[in-house]
Amino acid sequence: MSYGRYGRPALKNSVDVQLQTAFTDGNWNTVIRLADKRFKTLKDPYYEAIKIAAESQLDGTIERCTALIAIDELVKSKAVPDYDTVELLEWAARDYLYDTEYAETLGPLRARWVKANPKSKFSVKCLQSCLEYWDLVSAQQIATTLDKAFANSGDRQYMFWSITLTYLLSISPQCSEASKKVYSLLVVKQLERAADITENSEKVESKDRGLLQEEEISLYYRVMLSHGSKEDFVSRMESSKLGPLAQLKEGRKDLFYQALNAYESWSEWDRIYDLCRQALRLGLDGATPTFSVCDYKVWKKFALAASKSRDQETALAEVQSILKEFIALKTNTAMYKKNIALTLLDTAFHQPTAPGSSGNESGLTPRVIQIGLYLDSYFDKLSAFDDVKDFVAELGFEEVKGLMEEVLPKMLEEKSEKSSQVILKSLICKLRYLLTTCTQTLSHNPSVVDGQEHDKPYQCRLCSALITLPCESCLRSVVAEAAQIYQQIVDDSELLAAIPRLDKDPRIDLALVMGNSILKLSGLRPRTSDVAPAPLRDVNPSLFLQAVLVLDTQLKVTPGDVALRLLLAQLYLLLGCASYAYQIWTPLDVKRTIQDSLSPLFFDRISSLSPGLFTGTRPLMEPLRSYYNNSLHSSCPLRIWDAFGSGSYSSILEMTEFDSKLRRSCTLMMSIVEERRATRAFGGKIECEIGDLALTDNIDDTTILLNKTDYGSFVNLESPQGPPIQEFLRIGPELSNERAHLSFLAEQYLDLIHHKPPKDHRPYKPSEASIKERAYTFETLSQLNNSLTSFIHRPTTPAALTSPEATYYTVVSLLSAAVLTALSSTRADPYPAETMSVLTSSIRTAFTGLRTRFTSSSTSSSSPGVDETFYSLSDMHTLSYVRETALAMRHSAAFVQAWNDRELARDRSGKSTLHKDGLAEMKALDAMAAKTVTEVKGHIQKLKEALGQGGWLDKMLDWTFGGEKGEKEEDEKVRKAVEDVVGGREGAEEWVGKVVESWGQGVKGWGLVKME
Amino acid sequence: MANFRQFRPDDLNKFSKCNLDPFTETYELGFYLQYHAKWPSLFQVAEDQHGNIIGYIMGKLESSPDYYKFSEHYLPWHAHITAVTVAPEARRLGIGKMLTEQLEAAADANDAWFVDLFVRSTNHKAIQFYKSMGYSIFRTVKDYYGDHSSDPTKSSRILRHAQAHEERRQEGARSGKWREVRGGPE
Repeated sequence: MSYGRYGRPALKNSVDVQLQTAFTDGNWNTVIRLADKRFKTLKDPYYEAIKIAAESQLDGTIERCTALIAIDELVKSKAVPDYDTVELLEWAARDYLYDTEYAETLGPLRARWVKANPKSKFSVKCLQSCLEYWDLVSAQQIATTLDKAFANSGDRQYMFWSITLTYLLSISPQCSEASKKVYSLLVVKQLERAADITENSEKVESKDRGLLQEEEISLYYRVMLSHGSKEDFVSRMESSKLGPLAQLKEGRKDLFYQALNAYESWSEWDRIYDLCRQALRLGLDGATPTFSVCDYKVWKKFALAASKSRDQETALAEVQSILKEFIALKTNTAMYKKNIALTLLDTAFHQPTAPGSSGNESGLTPRVIQIGLYLDSYFDKLSAFDDVKDFVAELGFEEVKGLMEEVLPKMLEEKSEKSSQVILKSLICKLRYLLTTCTQTLSHNPSVVDGQEHDKPYQCRLCSALITLPCESCLRSVVAEAAQIYQQIVDDSELLAAIPRLDKDPRIDLALVMGNSILKLSGLRPRTSDVAPAPLRDVNPSLFLQAVLVLDTQLKVTPGDVALRLLLAQLYLLLGCASYAYQIWTPLDVKRTIQDSLSPLFFDRISSLSPGLFTGTRPLMEPLRSYYNNSLHSSCPLRIWDAFGSGSYSSILEMTEFDSKLRRSCTLMMSIVEERRATRAFGGKIECEIGDLALTDNIDDTTILLNKTDYGSFVNLESPQGPPIQEFLRIGPELSNERAHLSFLAEQYLDLIHHKPPKDHRPYKPSEASIKERAYTFETLSQLNNSLTSFIHRPTTPAALTSPEATYYTVVSLLSAAVLTALSSTRADPYPAETMSVLTSSIRTAFTGLRTRFTSSSTSSSSPGVDETFYSLSDMHTLSYVRETALAMRHSAAFVQAWNDRELARDRSGKSTLHKDGLAEMKALDAMAAKTVTEVKGHIQKLKEALGQGGWLDKMLDWTFGGEKGEKEEDEKVRKAVEDVVGGREGAEEWVGKVVESWGQGVKGWGLVKME
Repeated sequence: MANFRQFRPDDLNKFSKCNLDPFTETYELGFYLQYHAKWPSLFQVAEDQHGNIIGYIMGKLESSPDYYKFSEHYLPWHAHITAVTVAPEARRLGIGKMLTEQLEAAADANDAWFVDLFVRSTNHKAIQFYKSMGYSIFRTVKDYYGDHSSDPTKSSRILRHAQAHEERRQEGARSGKWREVRGGPE
């Protein structure tokens, strides 16, 4: 069926022009009249279908359902429906037909039709329609019918559609557990049969039912891996036709990787060794293009497998020998040469003679020499540090000394060009920073020395200082050295002129090293649990601000640097300068497809930091909302039919999996929840309950929501032994399944207690409606309470939340129970005093803890140089959750009170009104929350006044550079280095202006937030 | 360090190194998935040791519709490079060249007559890069980039590279077996 104007289907050609025109023009009443007339005259049921389709377009509720009723009747009739009728009814019911209903109605109807007309050209359209509604059961039946019908026609496509859909069904929740087993077995047998045909044929022709194309063989590998046994897979990989090596010869690298990855998952190191060896030999012999085998992954697996071989020495010698043969090849590109150089390095670390990290032997081991050789060739490449980082972190202490004190200084001496020298020096600075994060540079220090207890559990083996982690003495030296090199570059016009020709501006690296070192010195640590204090509470504000200033100064010089932008955006969020962070974030142009993985870097928790950002002209979350709506508008994975049409079977499987993951994205949940919170904050109307949104349709407590945040563009100077840099920079733990679910459940609770029936809603039978409402409310509260309690008590949850979040979700969970208890206790029933008392006192305790955290942060100061305003401005997250929690309490109390008032109005006897003690307990919670809300308001007012006062320039400069009075000598060294880089206090004035302005904008936004 | 392989949709979550670069355009999800669905072997990526995508190439196979067959603009079955990008940190290592070679190999496997691409007339670096790989300027399209382009010429060059199939075909044409192709290097 073709489609005409407004997406309306074209009617059969046999339909008269008058009716056709009325239908095309959407004159539904005329269509109904004419179709009815034609039906009565011609007795053709197609006209009745036209009439029904037209009726479904009318406004009346009953008329709209006529198409659904007609479809139901067709399903029940068991007769083969008319194709055009099905098409017409499907179009008519398109807005009211849920996917599950489709799978029970139109899907089976289409499958029935195809069974009766397997060779019709419309059969494929039926399959496509089932896929559009993701009705896999019917789609699989249709594909199987098509396969049988065309088995001898040589059209292999239907066979592979059938196999692919059987496989998809075998892993789909649409299939029962028992059926899953049957389908799994079926799909394995189908593919084994196809593989056997290939194995036993001299040459597979395109009309055969064997495996021929790469996509078909890929499907075979994937299914065997997923549903077959390891033994079967391994034995089939030995095949001289379908095995990975034979396929590699055909240039089919993906299959080779699939086999390699499977072996690795089973730790089949001998097989990996053999496969890599043979593959690399193929590359050497020219039997396959070099790009098919020369990946670093192949080399790395080869070297690792060799190191695990029983005859390790011979195996590693073979690795070296093949490496040498590749080195001798003249055709190697720069990338392959680099891969080979890294493999040589990797092999050195797999040698059995490699010394342990604690040996006393000379530091110039083959491992160190190999690192030196690698850096000698690649020190000027942007990725040099990342390439060697993990190797350096693995070195023993003596080796570290050998590298840092002999190899690198010698290399430096040999560089004659100034630009090469500064690049190498900045690389050395990065390595020095890295070593402060490595455990081999530390030794344990007895807690009691000479009978004296001390609090320095470690000694730094590089500078001999007694330390707590990290070594501050080394970090200060790194800052001073980096600043000195930075100044050297800035002061040398020749070097400045050379920068555009370099892989990367060394000033960026140096600023990053300084920034990271000073952040560590400031005491910034990862906040990975709900007991951690507010982000900057334990941080030396002066050093923190210096670090931000250094990085910000560098961003002005190199505004195009992505890593600096990402780092600064995070730091300004920590500092409470969300509007300035947004200015820094915006040029990154995170849009469309990359939003799912990158938006959390800015938008996670944004409504709790700066709701004012949501008051801009363009809705803040609009791009994210639009991305998810466009990508997930149908339950069918985007573009899946293209993959069926092109015979891209592996793409079908991958796209299906990707779609499933996107629907379970934590970023999706974050975007919905953040927007709802901001809307509520400004008293806006929330159009739809969160549970009714199409995007949350398939999410329940068992759904595992996925965090896919991409940290790839962060410059991570930390060793692999410790947390990566992003963990230092976040307000709290990253997105997680637990947090996403709790936020979803809390929003559902708020939807329930904020629900107000439409004003014109007058139930026909008020008491019956009241009973239903009561049952619904009790059931929902009970479910929400169970779910919230279950998520809160998961052992992994505390590490997924900030302290204010933990309190908020705990209180919401307790409130759901308290409200349920209060609503269940009418005056006529015995009052559950003990239960209610436990619940309300738990709420009070939790809330008091949060309130204390908030009030203490606004009245105390841990640093003599900084006043309370600094901590308050950088901890709006706590304030936000105090407000959210207090309002949840107030609204819960109001909900209970309104319920009671309604009952009183409905039942004058007063029997069904709530127990007075329950009402009183809720009122007490309300009073407590109301008092706190007033405090929050007062706090925001105080901040506004504080920011309105003059003298911020001097104040901030004093906070940043510290009053000289009382400054520690070691801090002075860092301060002076920073002053040199940023141009002293004068150089920081513009920056101060931006920070203070951003604080002001944030507080202004908070001033607009509703407090009731 | 790099590994080369076919694109997988999950790679979209690891695109930041390429797509945060201002010279790389980010498209809608359907655009990437369309290429993955229809021409998976022509959508190749380079990844680093952490799985970050440090380069990718997207290509397609197509020909002009049949009713164009007698037009001078008719394009026979060929591969078209839609996008190539390499992350800043992975440049100058030949990754772009290797990605292009892999696309050419896939084009060969699909019997493409040639590979073509569009490039701004002012992008001399890119033109030089493709010329070094055997491409030649086939045609210049005036006003290709429209009025919003910052490029004063607004024109685009179409570069072409003959594939094995095309070479065989030209051989055939010379021996009188196939008809002569229109167009060719400028």
